[in-house]
Amino acid sequence: MLKIANLSKSFGTHKVIKNVSLTVGSEIRVVLGLNGCGKSTMLKIVAGILASDNGKILIDKRDVTALPPEDRHVGYVPQQASLFKHLSVRENIRYCLRNGRGAEADIDQLVEMLKIENVLDKKPEALSGGFQSRVSLARTLASQPHVMLMDEPLSDLDLAIKEKLIPEFRKVLKKLGIPVLYVTHDLSEAQLLGDRFSCMIEGVLSDADSAEKAFGLIRESISDYDLHGPAQHQLRN
Amino acid sequence: MDGSLMNKIMNKDLITILFTPLLFLLIIYPIVALLTNLEVPGVRETLMDGLFWDSVKNTLLAALVAASLCVILSIGFGYCHLFMRNSLLYKAANLMNDLPIALPHTVAGLALLLAFGRTNFGFAGPTGLAFTMIAVVLAMFFVSYPLAARAVASGVDQMDLESIAVARTLGDTPTKAFLRIALPALREALFSGFVLSFARSLSEFAAVIMFGGNVPGSTQVLASYVFTKVEEGEVAMAVTASGFCIFLSLILVVLVGQGRRRRA
Ligand SMILES: Nc1ncnc2c1ncn2[C@@H]1O[C@H](COP(=O)(O)OP(=O)(O)OP(=O)(O)O)[C@@H](O)[C@H]1O
Ligand SMILES: [Mg+2]
Repeated sequence: MLKIANLSKSFGTHKVIKNVSLTVGSEIRVVLGLNGCGKSTMLKIVAGILASDNGKILIDKRDVTALPPEDRHVGYVPQQASLFKHLSVRENIRYCLRNGRGAEADIDQLVEMLKIENVLDKKPEALSGGFQSRVSLARTLASQPHVMLMDEPLSDLDLAIKEKLIPEFRKVLKKLGIPVLYVTHDLSEAQLLGDRFSCMIEGVLSDADSAEKAFGLIRESISDYDLHGPAQHQLRN
Repeated sequence: MDGSLMNKIMNKDLITILFTPLLFLLIIYPIVALLTNLEVPGVRETLMDGLFWDSVKNTLLAALVAASLCVILSIGFGYCHLFMRNSLLYKAANLMNDLPIALPHTVAGLALLLAFGRTNFGFAGPTGLAFTMIAVVLAMFFVSYPLAARAVASGVDQMDLESIAVARTLGDTPTKAFLRIALPALREALFSGFVLSFARSLSEFAAVIMFGGNVPGSTQVLASYVFTKVEEGEVAMAVTASGFCIFLSLILVVLVGQGRRRRA
């Protein structure tokens, strides 16, 4: 279980995360939010890549707030696959083994489930975007994380590829039965993937009963301010 | 100037018209002037001068060692640039990369002399480290290191930081992530840092002469050989040695160009 309590973060005078609290059980929690609302910042704080100003993070009742990323046992899947370019796909996926994490047998199973058997000996640059996403997910899952943090890992993909990948990703993630915190700005992605939903509006997180409700809240917030700003374009997608 | 002529000039790319003669006068002409002064007896005399070859050997050897040291230290700077941006150590290191720009290299040489000379390093020999090949290397290193450090820093700036973040969540300490992920990504930056600092070291004169001295056959480098020959009135020999320096730089330029093309 992942528990976030009263998290805040500012960059200079810019308050990006405002007193965020959230509990994620063994489920896929999707956080919907517009560009720049603080989604990535929140995930990076949970992963330990950024430090928060305030608040606590508990993973399976263990307070990890002060721990560096390597001691948190969280899985982080960034927006761009960010594979290790100088390593083959196989070496990418087996990376965690170097640190004594994960198990060979599990990795073989992951490779099969994510259908990447045939690209194992390729270099990441030789892969299509869809396969890079598969490998990125496999690399992270291989380390048997206690929590998954996913930062729009599919947002750079073509719609058709995305539609194919989402159910597969969901199946793999559900099988593990760990908390998954998945952020996106895409409503259909949220609908297809999520068990429970939240929306983030300018650093404030609130629960919603459904993806549509979360999206509705975001839509309402937007009509208050600049309708002609870049956010408008985002909403139409 | 009548209007139509003015128009003609403006149409014919004014900037090129200004740039071309200045390039030739200020940059190409001096090189040509040097090379046209090459003459056979001077070349022969120089090539038979053992001290000339000693200075070539000293230059290449010291520059090689200095550039290697530069790369090793700049790897450390790269680590600070990546993981310790807010630390005092990083800020001090960063300042030391910029400070030497405006510093006369005689000042660098004097600083090294006072630091590693007889007073503080008397145990290492009658003159401390001064006037030895170690001094030549240290002088070259001191003035070249900022170039390597900056090359590595700009390499770090272009790096995919998310891949480092992922490596950390997969269990890497900062050191492991740096060695396994960052360093391979910095290969090109390290190479260009090496070439830049090697080139800078080859050309160093002031700091080398202050701290390493100009002992023919012992600590004399090409730059100081040229200086000595001019002082002695052996201009033909100075010109030959200078031609050799141009030849060396040219090789370096070609090598770098080839490396760049291979990587592209
Ligand atoms: N290192 C940083 N320094 C200063 N400001 C930052 C930094 N990182 C993010 N920000 C700012 O914080 C705000 C939230 O950024 P964040 O990346 O968390 O948004 P996001 O919701 O992930 O947006 P996107 O959908 O574009 O990925 C933005 O206004 C951004 O400019
Ligand atoms: Mg983001």
